[in-house]
Amino acid sequence: MAIDTGLLTNIGFYVSVSIIFAVLALGFNIQWGYTGLFNAGVAGFFLIGAYVTAIAITLPAPPIVIAGIPVYPGHLGGYHLPFAAGALLAMFASGAAAALVALPTMRLRADYLAIATLAFAEIVRIFAINLESVTGGTIGIILIPRPVEFRPPDPFLNTAAIVGIGALILLVLLFVLQFIAESPWGRVLRAIREDEEATMALGKNAFRYKLQAFALGGALMGLAGSLFAVTLAYVEPTISFAPAVTFSVWVMVIVGGSGNNRGAILGAFLIYGLEFLSVQLKDFAPAALKDTIFYIRLIIVGVLLILLILFRPTGILPEKKRVLR
Amino acid sequence: MGDDSILAARDVRKAFGGIQAVDDCTLSVSKESVTGLIGPNGAGKSTLFNIIAGLYRPDGGEIWFDGTRIDGLPPYEIVRLGLTKTWQIPHELRNLTVLENLVLAAKGNAGEHLLNLFFRPYRVRRDERRWRARAREVLALTQLEGLANEHAKDLSGGQKKLLELARALMSDPPLVLLDEPVAGVNPTLAGNLMDLIERLRRGGTTFFLIEHDMNVVMNRCDRVIVMHQGRKIAEGTPAIVKADPVVIESYLGG
Repeated sequence: MAIDTGLLTNIGFYVSVSIIFAVLALGFNIQWGYTGLFNAGVAGFFLIGAYVTAIAITLPAPPIVIAGIPVYPGHLGGYHLPFAAGALLAMFASGAAAALVALPTMRLRADYLAIATLAFAEIVRIFAINLESVTGGTIGIILIPRPVEFRPPDPFLNTAAIVGIGALILLVLLFVLQFIAESPWGRVLRAIREDEEATMALGKNAFRYKLQAFALGGALMGLAGSLFAVTLAYVEPTISFAPAVTFSVWVMVIVGGSGNNRGAILGAFLIYGLEFLSVQLKDFAPAALKDTIFYIRLIIVGVLLILLILFRPTGILPEKKRVLR
Repeated sequence: MGDDSILAARDVRKAFGGIQAVDDCTLSVSKESVTGLIGPNGAGKSTLFNIIAGLYRPDGGEIWFDGTRIDGLPPYEIVRLGLTKTWQIPHELRNLTVLENLVLAAKGNAGEHLLNLFFRPYRVRRDERRWRARAREVLALTQLEGLANEHAKDLSGGQKKLLELARALMSDPPLVLLDEPVAGVNPTLAGNLMDLIERLRRGGTTFFLIEHDMNVVMNRCDRVIVMHQGRKIAEGTPAIVKADPVVIESYLGG
């Protein structure tokens, strides 16, 4: 090809991963920004979505043994379903998991939900590492088919296709979320965030709304996991779903604007942008900075967060006042 | 308790740790009355209100509202039956507007159900329109119309009290419990408020209110119930209660 697609592929990768984080941030925004439910296990629901999709859409993968030595334990599934089916299953699985985790803790004080979800995410990850015959163990699941395959394989076209699908999903999601979160239903969620007891005394079954909001947020995190699986074409349990992913999503929503869907998306593109930039700049950085640039990013994000909380605690795109006519 | 009672509590008990906040309390409120509940601080008045509204579960006893036993029901079901309550310390939804605060007190608003948004869009729009109109009406009644689109947190203390009352009136409930409705409200406005309550009572609403302002209690209530140490110690017209030696000793002072 005449034009250099390397840079475009790079930018495409940034956009596609940002979209994944944006979907995670939208899910967390429904839970925290609208309803005030603190989810400390975003990574767990993300993982479930990624693995469910991987298991649903890959070809069968039997264990690989070379010269008597097990090289790959294989994984469950190999159902070879289309991506759309994988995505729907992922949303259902993560949404159901969110409802199950929330069920016993939701009647208690808010902090218990945070503790339960944090533990849940780690338990799920440990299962993913050790339940080898289902998840492929530490190797994970490889050779995940892309929604659109190009022959011969072309990294640029692959990335372009993923960006296109991701952008479409994100747009539809923003539209639907805006519709339901800015409805009378979403108004009850915001009321619960402000004062749960008072909302109950206004005749609302707060428990039911909290459960719905938490499950919906979980389902979105599952969808993000699904996109993640086909974007990278493999899933592995050690780094991708570590607690740091959860913390990143918090920062994205707080920086972008809690309670504002567009803010959550903006936060995702910004915060992941800093991470992406730090990786890209590594090659150009002076020798003295090469090994530290990654940590410099963490410092920048930390300082940014502190400044924001001091001077603009509502985020870059704050929650809007809803003026009713 | 006669047939004309809309609310009846029988032997209601509630303890917090070692403190018996409500102790075998039995009382009733007549339909279409303005009934005052008075008593010294710590007498158990607010606790009793919270038990009636379903926010606390009583340790024992029964509560009947218009022929239905309501003790043990969750607060949102009691509201749906037609019993609303205001808070002594305003519980305004801070980052929502005054109008949003009111519309949230709607009863049976279709759009508050997730699936209706998709499957009954016409009803959702119609209900929302109707409840917004009702909210404007109640705002006018409570003289809050100028503040409709202000954040509730920006209201003054007295205005928050009005917002409490406005929310309680939204669904036009047969029984309203008011926990110190005029405390912190300026005298003119308090007078208007009590006029409004009298008007609504004539329209068929029953009010059961806690109040420390003896002017309000003596001039505005049809009946007064006196609580002391978790129990009812006296009941009657304001004049009778005022003259009761037990009441004078425990509450009104010599």
